[in-house]
Formats: sequence, C-alpha cells, structure tokens
Amino acid sequence: MATTPRSGGAGSGTAQRPNGTSQNKSCQFKLVLLGESAVGKSSLVLRFVKGQFHEYQESTIGAAFLTQTICIEDTVVKFEIWDTAGQERYHSLAPMYYRGAQAAIVVYDIQNQDSFQRAKTWVKELHKQASPNIVIALAGNKADLSNIRVVEFDEAKQYAEENALLFMETSAKTGMNVNDIFLAIAKKLPKNDGANNQGSSIRPNGNETNRPTNNCCK
Amino acid sequence: MSTAARPPALRLGQQDLKCRASCGYYGTPQNDGLCSKCFRDRNDKQRKMLKAGDMQPILSGSSSHSHSHASVSAGGSSDRRSPQHFQVRETPKKQVDKEPDTSTLQKKKFTAVLQKTLQAGAQKIAQQRGYVPDPTESQFVKQLQKLRIPDDGKRKLKSEIQRLDSEIRKYINSNSSKNIDELSDAVQNTYTKVADIVHNDPRFEIATNEDRESAIDFFEKVVMTQNHKFLFSPYFTTDEESDMKVQKRIRQLSWITSKHLDCSIDEVNAEARDLVYSAISELVGIDSYYSPQEKLQCTVRCCRHIFELLKRATGGPASADDFLPALIFVVLKANPVRLHSNINFVTRFTNASRVMSGEGGYYFTNLCSAIAFIENLNGESLGISKEEFGALMSGQQPFSSPWESALMACESLHLISENMKQMERLQKKNGDISSGIAAFEKELIEFQREVTERVDTVMAKAPLTLLPIKTPAFLIGQARAQLLQELHEGEAGHYQANVLSGAHSLTVHTGMVKASIPAEESGLALKDTSISSIGRLSPLPNLQQPDNLFASPIFNYAAFDAVSLLEEPSSGGSGDVLMLGAELQGGLTNINYDFDLSDQSGENSTAEEAKLNLDEFDPLAQSSAPAPAVEPETSLLDTTMDSLIDSDVPGSCVSLPSPLKPEVANYRGFSNFEIPSISCNTGDFSSLGHDTGPTEGHK
Repeated sequence: MATTPRSGGAGSGTAQRPNGTSQNKSCQFKLVLLGESAVGKSSLVLRFVKGQFHEYQESTIGAAFLTQTICIEDTVVKFEIWDTAGQERYHSLAPMYYRGAQAAIVVYDIQNQDSFQRAKTWVKELHKQASPNIVIALAGNKADLSNIRVVEFDEAKQYAEENALLFMETSAKTGMNVNDIFLAIAKKLPKNDGANNQGSSIRPNGNETNRPTNNCCK
Repeated sequence: MSTAARPPALRLGQQDLKCRASCGYYGTPQNDGLCSKCFRDRNDKQRKMLKAGDMQPILSGSSSHSHSHASVSAGGSSDRRSPQHFQVRETPKKQVDKEPDTSTLQKKKFTAVLQKTLQAGAQKIAQQRGYVPDPTESQFVKQLQKLRIPDDGKRKLKSEIQRLDSEIRKYINSNSSKNIDELSDAVQNTYTKVADIVHNDPRFEIATNEDRESAIDFFEKVVMTQNHKFLFSPYFTTDEESDMKVQKRIRQLSWITSKHLDCSIDEVNAEARDLVYSAISELVGIDSYYSPQEKLQCTVRCCRHIFELLKRATGGPASADDFLPALIFVVLKANPVRLHSNINFVTRFTNASRVMSGEGGYYFTNLCSAIAFIENLNGESLGISKEEFGALMSGQQPFSSPWESALMACESLHLISENMKQMERLQKKNGDISSGIAAFEKELIEFQREVTERVDTVMAKAPLTLLPIKTPAFLIGQARAQLLQELHEGEAGHYQANVLSGAHSLTVHTGMVKASIPAEESGLALKDTSISSIGRLSPLPNLQQPDNLFASPIFNYAAFDAVSLLEEPSSGGSGDVLMLGAELQGGLTNINYDFDLSDQSGENSTAEEAKLNLDEFDPLAQSSAPAPAVEPETSLLDTTMDSLIDSDVPGSCVSLPSPLKPEVANYRGFSNFEIPSISCNTGDFSSLGHDTGPTEGHK
C-alpha cells in the first residue's frame, strides 16, 4: 500500500492520474486560484474562459469552477480552474483546494498592498504544502489602473524572481496579459509524465519564467 | 479495539487541522488527523507490526497515543475523539449485538467472539447472495453488455469486479482488526490497476477514450453499489459518531444567518428560498444514492442550484467568494443526515481523480470545506465576539434567525395571506353584487319613470282624436272629385277628378292656397253650373302626377265611393243635377263615415270634439272664405253660388258633428297657407251638405 492516488497532496499524484497525462499530447491540469477576495480572481478567469480564446467552454453557471482548453504547439492543454474563497476566515480551507493542483495563480490587486501581502503568504503556503511540482504564477491584477497603483511592478517582479514564480501584471478588464499568463503556465507545466520537459523556446514574453525549472521548493 | 485503555481526549483546537505528526502539512480526519504521507508511513509500519505479532495493538495502545493501529479509531481529528473512544463500547448500532462489553481489555477473547459472529453473518449473506440474485446485479449485467468495449474487455472487467468484490468481503469478514483506510487503499489501488488495464490492455484496444472512462466508471459503480452496505459507515470507523456530532453542531448553529457568513442569500425572498430548498433537497438526497459517483452528481446538482441562486442575487456568475459562504449556509440549514459517512464514503472509495478534479471534485471539495468550516467555526470566523458566540451556542442568548422564523412563520403567513386574498376576493365580489343591485334598482326606477313619462307624453301628445280626421280630409276632396266626375259629369269624368285632385295637390304642395281655394270653389260652383268652368281649369291637369301619389288610396276607394254614392242617390232619390251635386256631397259624407268606421274611431266622440273645435275652425274658415272673396272670380261665385258659399260658412258651424271635424286639429297644426282648406272647406261643405246640403245647398 505504498502510494494511493488520493494522496496527491503529498506529491506524486500527478503521474498516477489515468486521464491526466497519459493520452497523446492532451493534458489536463488543475489550476487553483488564490488571493484575497475582490482582487479579481474570478474576473480574470472569466476573461480567460469566455474571452477570445478558442476551443469549447462548458456552461458557465458560476465563475468558481471553469474549464478552458488551449493548444500549445501540438499539445492540447485543458485547464480546470478552481476558484477559492478569498476571505480570511476561509483561509484554512484552502489546502483542500490546492491539493493535487498542478498550477496555481496567486492574484493580488496592484492598488492594494494588503492583497499583495496576502499573496505572499499564499505563495509561502503553497511552497510549503502544495504539490512540489506545482507551477505558481503571481498576477498583479487591475493593471489598467496602474496610475493609482500601490504595489510597484519592480517590487512584485523581484519577489517573483526570488520565489521562482511566473509573474505578470494583468487586467481582466482590458484583457491585458490574461491569456498570456495562462499560456505561460501551460508552457511551464510538464506535458508528459516526465516532470520537467517544458521547452524554453515557446515562451513569448515570460523572460522571468525561463529560470524556474526548479519550480518546486519543498 | 483496546481503545478503552486510553483516556478520552476532548480537546478541540485549530491545530487539529494540522498533521498530528507535526510535519507541517495539513492532516485530514480521514487520515486520522495525519497528512497523507505520514498516514501511509504509519500504515506501513502497522502492517509490519501486525505481521510481527498479534499483540501489537495492545502494545501500541499502551505505549502511545499516536501511530498505533489501535489508536487509529481513536486518533482522528479532535472533533471525533470523544465519540471514537466510546464507539466500540456504546454507539455503533450495527455492532451492539455482535459485540459484548468491550470496555475491558481482553482483546483476544473479544476478537474471537467477534470473528465468529461476523463470519457467521457473512456466510449467511454470502449464501443469500448465492441463491437469490440481486436485482441490481442483473441490472449491472445489462449495463455491462451495453458498454461499448470489446467482449474480452467486458469479461476482464467482470472478473476484476468479482475479484475486488470478493476482496472487499474477505476483508470485511476477516477477523483481523480493520482499518477503513487500508481497505480504501486497496480499493484505490484496484481502481488504478483497472484503469491501467482499461487504458493499456490489448483487450480494450478498440474502445475509445470515452468508452474506457465509462468502463472504469462502471467498474467503480458496480463494486460500490454491491458493497455499499459494508463500506458505508462501517462499524469499525467513527463515521456514525461524526455524523451525530456534526448534526448536533449544526443544530446548535441554527442561529447563524447569512449575514454572519457574509453571503448574499436573501433569506426572506421567496424565490431565493425556493432555490435554497432545491439545493437543500439535493444535499439531503446525497445520502440516498449508493455509488460515490451518484453522490457526487447529487452534490453537483446542489451546487448548481446555489449558483443559480447567486446568479440571481448578484447578477453575474458567482465566484468562490460568494459560493462557499452560500454552500455553508445551505449545509447549515439542510443539516443532512449521515454527512460524514457520506463524505468519507466518497473520499475513500471513489476514484481519487474524481474528487481531485472535475466539477464534481470541485464541488465535493467545497462541501468538505464547508463541513470543515462548520466544525471549526468560532466567533471570530463569524465576525462576532467570543462571548456572544458562546452565549449563542449555549442557547443563553435568544436569537432570531430570519430563516427559521421565516420557516415557522411561513406556513401561517402563507395561510393568512391566502385567507386575506380569499377575503379580498369575496369582498370585491360582494361589493360588485351590491353595487350591481343598486345600479339595477336605479335602473328600474329610471325605467319606470321613463315608461310613465313616455306614456304620459304619448298620452299628452296623442290623444285618441287625431288620426281619423286627416284621412277623411283628403278623401273628401278626392271623393268629391270622383263623384263629380263619375256621377254628374260623366263626360268630364276622370279628367275633372284629376283636375280637382290636381288642384288639391297643388294647394298642398305649392301652397297656392288662395289660388286653389277659389279655383276649387269656383270649380265646384262651375261643376254645378257648367263644364266651362272646368274647362277654364283645364290647364291644371298637368299636375296629375301628384294626384297619383296622393290619390292612390282614393282609387282604392273609388268603388266604395261609387257604391256609397250610388246608394245615396237611390235613397235620396233626387234627379236634379244640382241635387246630384248635393248628392255628391252627401255621398262624400257617407264616404267619410265609412272611413271613420274603418278607422274605428268613435263617430260620436269625434263629433263632439268637432263641436268643441268648431270655434277654432270658424275663423279660419272665414279667413279662407274671405280669401276667395278677394279673388275676382268670387264675384261670380257670389253672384251665382251665393247660397252655396253662404251655406258653406254657416254649414261649417252647424254641420261639424260629422267626422270632418278632426280636420280642425290638423288645420291648426299646419301653417295657415298650407291648410288643405279645400278639403276642409269642402269637408265642411260636404258635411254641411250632408246635414243640410241636400235641402239648402242647391236651391
């Protein structure tokens, strides 16, 4: 009874998922959204899922659970996006959500310093408790309001580099970088059972994402 | 089984979410408060120890609280700790009959007993199963046949199902101390194996991916449905305890409103309530399904209702920020039975990928979070003070939850509002009826008044007298003319009659009263004396057309006239031409009488009225009389027909009794010039003639 697929939270769940990565170049990834409430987590996903990106979309009864399929080169990547409640009081429930997740986007609001601090705690927690191979992206949302920003781009970028995160400033409103951040994640994710086979050639603008092939940090 | 040796631990703290091995990860209740890694390690260790010797449980039980197999049942997260401790001793109902008093230590003895009873029971079950095929089994066989996988694959699948089936039963019936997690691991491994077979085995090669998935689903469904009774809330777990605990806790938390949870459900909105009810019924319905898949689907339906609800409340697709509080609210208000048992059953025995991914997995995770939140919530997490929370939990502080009060008030309020509506309807109807009655009454009165008024006006307007007069008036003229023609001046005949009628019509239509009267008068006079006068009037025949219109009744009566006229002479017996003229007049009177009779107007009354009206008539007659006098011809008349004229005027006075009198009223009614004075006069004259004419008129 060595390993159970159920115990993905501890590590090796990914490889065992029968429908996840085995078939010909089509992968399914669970992506969890973390961040304080009202930073625009769900708008970001709605923008990504309902926006101009191709492929089908499932019926949108809510923005809490959505799927989107994108193509990277010859691989079909299906994102399964799990939203989490951002309120502080539900913080302790988050592990249930990111257990077994292959990717996470930690969202903060560039106008809100607190949300950035919360994002940092999320990142810390993910590093500590989530699957070691999890790909974490940091998204500074509401970039369309950059004239009244509180969190500086460089500050966030530096933090992201230190912690081996993908980082982009996004705007769900204008669509800026929304697709790019998901694309960057998709590229960084392992496409096959092998853990790290992401090609660094297919990275349009994520210069800071080239580094973290060592995307686990346990 | 030796848990009784340990004192119950009743602590409850937030730290309980963490792995008890303090590795820093979060532990789960399903893993006895350990994280999955520590849990597995521990299980491995235990297995080894079990192999090493039978006495392990006692050893571990006495040695420490953690990481011993025996403590597994008592380990769990803090919220289950106390029930777990007592579980063996008092609670699990399934177990009571099988297990004697276990409060003491004799493990071996006890297990022996338990073993026997269990085996006996299992054998019975096995026998039953062997002889009586379960209806669900045949269903599954059918479903298996429907699967679009190669027959080899089906066979393989079936054998796998049977293998797992027997494995589960063997485990359940075995006499070793049981750990649900071991079983769960075994089942999960089988799932993985089956999935591997389905995806990679050559026997499944033709099947598409979907078919493979459905085959895997089928496998799980069959095994789980068949073994539900063994695997759902088994006696060797604390599920039942947890169920009771969480149920009690939810009951204690009934004071929580959506405001506490920061959720946007409007508890008093009827539409929202309906959706909450649907969500609740789905949530409660989870317990009624056998297979984990169905339970998950039920969860998904429940959550979709909540999303629908939130969509209406917030106007857009709801995010998790809204959703989780709403789900917590629904769970609190639903308080589903066997909550933990269901959750654990799904967690343990469904394909792990199912709860880790996919919509069902997401909502299931949310449900688990909601339960975890409910179990661990405190004042802080509800935004109220510790003291208030304590007071509310202990029931010291009264509360009013809109949901509960709405629930309670709902029925009565509903009834009241229904009754109010009914009353309103009745009142309205009543009002309608009474106003209708009033209106009808009014109408009746109005109608009555109108009828009487109309009758009055009609009575006033139309006394009985009017009608008879007019008709005779024409007829007199006509008849006279006819008489003139036919009887006395046969040669002139119709021609003259036409002349006369033409003259008459002329007077009526052109108003040449003066001209016509003298003409007629003179005509009459001339008729009596000579035809020349008629010849003088000859140009009048041009106006014959009106005659036709006007005289048509006359023609009808012509025979009549003739008869009466014929009779008259015979009775009169006068042969003189002038006499004949008188006869003519007499005839006219006769005719008049005939018409009067035909009109059925009382002769007598008319006669009397005539007398009354006579005075009025007189001046007109006189005025009409002078008018002819003005005419040059009158001189002739005067000379020749003096007596006639004279007789005319007085005659009118005297003779009026006859039916002619009605004329008077008509006469008045018309303007002066229009007076059919001819007829009047002639009438008068004729009447005169009738009474006196024969004697006086033509002398």
